[in-house]
Amino acid sequence: MSLQDLIMNLQKFWAAQGCYIAQPYDVEVGAGTMTPDTFFRVLDDRPWNVAYIQPSRRPADGRYGENPHRVQKHHQCQVIMKPSPQDIQNIYLKSLATLGIDIRDHDIRFDEDDWESPTIGAWGVGWQVLLDGLEISQFTYFQQAGGIDCFPVPVEITYGLERLEMFLEGKENMYDLQWSDDVTYRDLRYREEKEFSEYNFNQADIKLLRKSFALYSKEAQKLIEKDLLLPSYDMCLKCSHLFNLLDSRGAVSVTERVNLIAEIRGLVNQIAQKFTSKESLT
Amino acid sequence: MEFLLEINTEEIPASHVHAAITQIEEKLQNELLSVDIRISKLETFGTCRRLIAMGDFGESQKDKLEQVIGPPKSVAYLADGKPSPAALGFAKSQGVNINALEVVQTEGGEYIGINKVSKGKMTRDILAEALPRIIESLSFPKMMRWGNNPMRFSRPIKNILCLFGQKRLKFSVAGMDSSDSTTGHKIYFPQRIKVKTLSQYKDALKKKKVIIDPLKRKKMILDQSERKLASIDAQLFEDDLLMEKLCYDVEHPYVFLGSFPEEYLNLPLEVLSTAMKVGQNLFSVVKGRKQLPYFLGVADALNDAKSLIKKGNARVLKARLEDAKFFWEQDVKTSLKKRSGGLDRIIFQEKLGSYEDKVERLKKIAVYIAGKLELSNEKKEILETAELCKIDLLTEMVREFPSLQGRIGGLYAKHEGYPQNVWKGIYEHYLPQSLEDVSPSSFSGAILSIADKMDSIVGVFGVGEEVSGSKDPFGLRRNAQGVCKIILDRKMNFPFFRLCDKVIAVYGESLEMGKEELKTHCVEFFENRLQYIFEKWGYRYDLVNAALAPGIDNIYFTYLKVKALDSLKDSPQFEPLIHIAKRVNNILRDQPKYKVNSEILFEKEERELYTTFTIIRDNVLPLLAAGDYSRAQKMIFRIRSSINTFFDEVMVMTDDKRAKRNRLALLQEISKLLFLIADYSQIVIEG
Repeated sequence: MSLQDLIMNLQKFWAAQGCYIAQPYDVEVGAGTMTPDTFFRVLDDRPWNVAYIQPSRRPADGRYGENPHRVQKHHQCQVIMKPSPQDIQNIYLKSLATLGIDIRDHDIRFDEDDWESPTIGAWGVGWQVLLDGLEISQFTYFQQAGGIDCFPVPVEITYGLERLEMFLEGKENMYDLQWSDDVTYRDLRYREEKEFSEYNFNQADIKLLRKSFALYSKEAQKLIEKDLLLPSYDMCLKCSHLFNLLDSRGAVSVTERVNLIAEIRGLVNQIAQKFTSKESLT
Repeated sequence: MEFLLEINTEEIPASHVHAAITQIEEKLQNELLSVDIRISKLETFGTCRRLIAMGDFGESQKDKLEQVIGPPKSVAYLADGKPSPAALGFAKSQGVNINALEVVQTEGGEYIGINKVSKGKMTRDILAEALPRIIESLSFPKMMRWGNNPMRFSRPIKNILCLFGQKRLKFSVAGMDSSDSTTGHKIYFPQRIKVKTLSQYKDALKKKKVIIDPLKRKKMILDQSERKLASIDAQLFEDDLLMEKLCYDVEHPYVFLGSFPEEYLNLPLEVLSTAMKVGQNLFSVVKGRKQLPYFLGVADALNDAKSLIKKGNARVLKARLEDAKFFWEQDVKTSLKKRSGGLDRIIFQEKLGSYEDKVERLKKIAVYIAGKLELSNEKKEILETAELCKIDLLTEMVREFPSLQGRIGGLYAKHEGYPQNVWKGIYEHYLPQSLEDVSPSSFSGAILSIADKMDSIVGVFGVGEEVSGSKDPFGLRRNAQGVCKIILDRKMNFPFFRLCDKVIAVYGESLEMGKEELKTHCVEFFENRLQYIFEKWGYRYDLVNAALAPGIDNIYFTYLKVKALDSLKDSPQFEPLIHIAKRVNNILRDQPKYKVNSEILFEKEERELYTTFTIIRDNVLPLLAAGDYSRAQKMIFRIRSSINTFFDEVMVMTDDKRAKRNRLALLQEISKLLFLIADYSQIVIEG
């Protein structure tokens, strides 16, 4: 099963569970959780079921294409179901079965691992799912986002696609994976990893990053005041990515780190507040 | 009648399971005892997916015999012996036949009344009412909600099975009705199983591969491990915390033994065992003290027929070790000193600045402590240890394995060829992690550890943070206990209050709290910690209080005081001395301070007491200075007969003011001397 088969299988499976299949968001994010299809939709009290593939960027994880399992951009399959179904764990296990994994031959474990994202004021309770010791998913019951209690409670399942595919293909090097029958992961991504690692660690212009951060942050605040919450949230995502780049450049000092994260969280919390109070009016 | 409760959940963290079943047992017991239901047996078990209580309770409360008094006999019957309207009315109000009325003797004379039996409540009803409350009131270190459910619990509840007297006991918790079924092992036997009796339940789970008893699971793990390891003549590297976690994390333990390439044995043991444990929950395998290229894991499985579990774990571990090797090789390319500039990027506490600031403070505090301990010759090494001790926070290895902080720095310093006092000091400066843990073996590690912990305690309190209940974000309690433990383990003899002053002074103006207030706060915090430690070590609370009351300026001596009191508490002279001390204290209460004038000791008995006291004092003071509290204490015993005679023969509160004041002054001197050893008035005399 190639990576694209894996993607298509998961999409088909979750569509059958009633999830709408969204397309990846077009702004850089560190995780699928950060896209509007999750962030805004977990705030209100309406049912919401969605699944999507999301390329996720973590600049500091770059290894110039030399590390067999660390990359500065990887792919997640993100599932949100709200309210969380009573037998969601079994549904999840069935999704593994559709990938050809017979769990009775393996050791599958839900290992305590709570999740927190200070940048978007969010936290949840759950597990990392270990398959024979390999972390293949994160499983989280959202408790708060944007500083607001989530109720009904959404459950979030995030599959790390490269990891899972390495398991399925029995490969030790991510770059040896088959994206399709004809195209390998190396064909598609090696050069990108190499160049972006160089950019993330050595070339990104610190002054420009800082200046951009300030500009986007200002723009976000302006848009909040104009009640343009989705565009404002995009600006926050840009700030978050710029912060990650500053961090991978080793340019963030102690106080600055705290302040920058607090700055983004402040904006995101305002957006969440306004979004929910607006929601309650409609 | 037999009782069974099984709360079936999604995977609860091991520590939560233990806490929850303890609470269930306590609450159930209190609930039943408070309404007089007999408990013949009550046991609890648990796995990560089940909280189980089973037992044998009485069927109902006992019936109660009750007497209801009616009107006096004199008005209850008419002249002709027939019941009066008053008696008829009473019988009616009680719902009994008139013939049921009896004559009752009371203090106020003869009355009529009835003996009524009130039926006891059924246990089944009591349980049905109590269990939802008990389940909803269980508390966990961290709680969550799920679905549409307003209830908070450790993890989502899937099913509640409850039987009493071989029948389903119906109640509902947060919208979920209790049932009479359970499921077997999550992976192999997920089908529902109906159960009617306790023994059916036990049999069913056994057949469906769930071992509910944590002790049995532990034994299975140990037995299987032993068998697997015998084949390679090796042992498990014991890790109690990991074992405890694994015991609860699986419902049916299967132990597998795997291996990794020998080339990774070049990595330090600390790195190897952490890489195995963190993330994958694997045990290291050793032969004697030698690490072997094997690992041992516990799966929640029946077997590993296709070896997939073993191979999968081996592959993941290899990748982790490869990473660790890469980190090691990368890290040692840059010397610790060269890295040190980066410490200003790592925050210690928002208001207290970076680790660079902390290191600057540690240097001053550590040198101060070294001076007090007459280790000035080692000053250079101590300074170097302080300067290097936090740099490993900047390494890839610690970023990957944060629990290895300190140890990694020490290993890199060793690799760079620093002397043992320096690298060991770095390696050990987070020790001890708990009261059960060992103190640093090197003096540099001990001094740095104290300096680091004192710096945290003073700084964090100084910016207004508080420790209370479960709130202790900087682990200040553990830090303070660590400081005490090192001082006691190494018999360190130095003024603690001055150390507080020093640390506060090193912070200078950056703290928010006033200097004196902060010092008092720290000292009180340490008094509480010492009290906790001594009581945990089994010393009687009143002896501990007595020893702490005179102050803890010398922490090591405070411990010697406790030990002295403890060793002498059963001596025949102990109790009389306490009585005397209490009597002296009582007389002196609310008296102003006076001075002894030996010229005006009129009576023979007071002169004799004065002489005995001076001799004892002159003998005791040097003993106290040397910390020999046991001998000092024994010496003090000797004052008893003189004091007794004094109290018998001499009137303290005499009309002669001069004599009275002088006698009070003498007692004040004695009391002062006693207080150097302990506040005896805190000691409780039994009987």
